[in-house]
Amino acid sequence: MALIIPVIFIFVFAFAVIKKVAVYDCFTEGIKEAFNFTVSLLPCLAAIFMMCALFEASGLSDGLTKLLSPVFGFLGIPPELTKLVLIKPFSGSGSLAYLNEIITAYGADSYIARCACVCFGSSETVFYISAVYFAGIKVKKLAMPIACVLVATFVSTIVACLVCKIM
Amino acid sequence: MNVIFTAVFIASMVAIAISAPDKLLSSLLGGAESAAKMSLTLFCIYAVWMGLSKLAEKSGLSKQMARGLKPITRRVFKTDDETANENLAMNVSCNLLGLGGAATPFAVKAIGELEKQGNSFAQKLLFVINATSIQILPTTVIALRAGAGSAAAADIFLPSLICTAVSTGLAVALYLAGNKLWR
Repeated sequence: MALIIPVIFIFVFAFAVIKKVAVYDCFTEGIKEAFNFTVSLLPCLAAIFMMCALFEASGLSDGLTKLLSPVFGFLGIPPELTKLVLIKPFSGSGSLAYLNEIITAYGADSYIARCACVCFGSSETVFYISAVYFAGIKVKKLAMPIACVLVATFVSTIVACLVCKIM
Repeated sequence: MNVIFTAVFIASMVAIAISAPDKLLSSLLGGAESAAKMSLTLFCIYAVWMGLSKLAEKSGLSKQMARGLKPITRRVFKTDDETANENLAMNVSCNLLGLGGAATPFAVKAIGELEKQGNSFAQKLLFVINATSIQILPTTVIALRAGAGSAAAADIFLPSLICTAVSTGLAVALYLAGNKLWR
């Protein structure tokens, strides 16, 4: 599986050489686009990260975690995972740090850690993606699609906790 | 997004004003700092992948791939535009290979192309698919578990596949249903 990346790179470069593309010029042009793209993202990222930092520092996120743990427990989601499930839609790096904590605390092969890994691997940072994808679009109306994604992600979390018990 | 942002921001500010008013400014600055760091990381990822994708684009490789996938993307996203289909095809292929970082620039380009045609259905469908993660191989998580000394780091492969399928399938179904009800 580790070979996928080298194979893709070599294949694309070789193909470009065969087609007589000016590889250096072209590669740099792509990076220039990447630069402009990153700069255009920065305002959205800054605003969202500020919101997340504030939410975390205000203690609201801990309060919400405590409030929701029993509900999650009822649905078969271990209370240890509540915070991970709540953070994931907002912050990839934040939830990755938290996932790491869970793995170290409970051991990589424990039920909790495996559950956490499956939840993490099968969900995405919904709000971050919505900000990035629609950064340049004026009319958004994203409430409905975001709601669909969040509901589906939550259901798949419940499924993850079930499946990990069996497998 | 405006509503959520404002609501969370105001609620957090009120709560922090009560519990620890001196932390308000520092947490905002901290957030901005992590955004700046994040954009540096993102630039590195995008530089590599957009450089490569430019090569694929100029050499006609992505056009050929898009041609192969066009029957699918055209039907699913209801668009005939060539550039949009090309980007959609690349986005889906990158996602399936677990190259999430590579998939994003294509999605953004595709959304830009779809905007020109006023095809907001496809824009949102693409978002729904990407936001529920359609990767087949959760490379990051497997690497993380292996690093923590797991006996069988890849044994979460099958559960992950099931959950990814459930979340994407359900989200698309909900979106299509919601789309019908709204109009």
